[in-house]
Amino acid sequence: MSQLVAIARREFLSYFSTSVGYVVLALYLLMSGLLFALSVLHTGVEASMRPFFDLSFFLLLFIAPAISMRLISEEMRLGTIESLMTCPISDAQVVVGKWIGAVGFFVAMLAPTLIYPLVLEWYSAPDYGSIFAGYLGLLLIGGLYLSFGTLASSVWPSQILAYLVAVFFWLIFVGLTSWLPRFIGDPWSAILFKMSIELRYSNDFSKGVIDTSTILYFVSGMIFFLVAAVKIVESRRWR
Amino acid sequence: MIEIEHLTKCYGSFRAVGDVSLSIPNGQVLGLLGPNGAGKTTIIRVMTGYLPPTRGKASVEGFDSVTQSHEVRRRLGYLPEANPLYGEMRVVEYLGFRGRIFGLARAQRKTAVDRVVERCWLKEMRKRQIGRLSKGYKQRVGLAAAMLHQPPVLVLDEPTSGLDPIQIRETRHLIRELAGDHTMVLSSHILPEVEVTCDRIVIIARGGIRADGTVDQLKQKAGDSQHYVLEVKPESGNGSMRDAIRNISGVSRVDETTIDGWTRYEITGDATSRDLREPLGRVVSESRVPCRELHRESGSLEQLFVRITSEGDAS
Repeated sequence: MSQLVAIARREFLSYFSTSVGYVVLALYLLMSGLLFALSVLHTGVEASMRPFFDLSFFLLLFIAPAISMRLISEEMRLGTIESLMTCPISDAQVVVGKWIGAVGFFVAMLAPTLIYPLVLEWYSAPDYGSIFAGYLGLLLIGGLYLSFGTLASSVWPSQILAYLVAVFFWLIFVGLTSWLPRFIGDPWSAILFKMSIELRYSNDFSKGVIDTSTILYFVSGMIFFLVAAVKIVESRRWR
Repeated sequence: MIEIEHLTKCYGSFRAVGDVSLSIPNGQVLGLLGPNGAGKTTIIRVMTGYLPPTRGKASVEGFDSVTQSHEVRRRLGYLPEANPLYGEMRVVEYLGFRGRIFGLARAQRKTAVDRVVERCWLKEMRKRQIGRLSKGYKQRVGLAAAMLHQPPVLVLDEPTSGLDPIQIRETRHLIRELAGDHTMVLSSHILPEVEVTCDRIVIIARGGIRADGTVDQLKQKAGDSQHYVLEVKPESGNGSMRDAIRNISGVSRVDETTIDGWTRYEITGDATSRDLREPLGRVVSESRVPCRELHRESGSLEQLFVRITSEGDAS
């Protein structure tokens, strides 16, 4: 366990010692600030963070892969993977530890946005239950995006490629599960809609509903991608 | 104790190492010597559990490098060839991180970091960012990280790479100092380094062991080759002198160069031939020419190394 924490801690701190971490942080805060100002701060409308959460779903689609693109690929490029893999830790500890570090940075990136509900509080009385659910949803979506990003980073040694693959994967996935079903009939449309992370997020968390099936769906996705990443890292030894 | 039994490692259809067997007893400092691409790093990577063998096995202190990889890694301190480090971390921060990975408790970790910082001459660089250190200091950080958890086995791939002559001497001294308490495998292509630091040398070429023994044993083996140097000042032409040398029974090759008016003959005898100094001396005295040098070159590790590695190039 202490090894997992050590890997996660190192990964988390490494974001703050490179310019990439600060660029991603600044970009996200700038974009999310704009989203909040343009979608939430309107006179005469309900004091709700829902428009912000709905749009954050798309914004994170481009931001999260920038956080995860370096996780494994950087270790491979620098060769540090060799010294790491000859320490008494498992491949799973390395992959999961790095993912936890990335999730930690993601949380640190979301943390300043907690000022937005306080801004709403200044003008009105927002529903903190739905705000909590919205943030929980963002955390789950971030974890899911980052888990696939970890997988992409373990497959492609180029960070840029890992980033592009992750962005295009989620764009295609969202297109297939949220947009395509509108044009095809049942039963496929129903199945695809069920798989849509966008609909699950906007119909549940964004509205303030915490649905355990949706939580399970997101967590299963994270486990699936992380296990795949571990297998990819393991397989490098056998090639 | 390190045991390697019939180790073969293939990358796709390319066989990097073929049927290598090696036993390294406790406390021995073994030098793996070989040209680039000989298979040294592959053997080390299998030994450390980083790569699995295609066939055969490697074990450290009785633990198999594949099935008991964690036990092997716990007992190993490894400095990889490229010495990869996290450039954004500070020296003590990195060593602390390595300590955590090896499961050292806080107090134990602090003592261990202080010990290796002292031993690897890193005191002034404790708080420096690794990325800003010179290559020599980075090498010391890699060495310190390998020694941190006091492993019984140290595997050092090119440990003095990038160090200045004084640091090289200090590192060699440190290796000799550590030798008493550790079993060590040192990979290098620097012959004097291996000669000075190792109890035993294994020469690797084309994925296999080509020579194995102590420095003296290998030098003796190198001396099996008959190589003589003769420098004379012939009074009229060199042709008759060269022919006279060639006519000596057992001479297989004669190379001739002229330096400051003196003619230098480099003579190679058959591996099985007798000592050629006597017939060469006779040729000189019969020719009645001034002679300033006649000697048989003593066997050196370099000669053996060149001979072994060039055998493959010729074939």
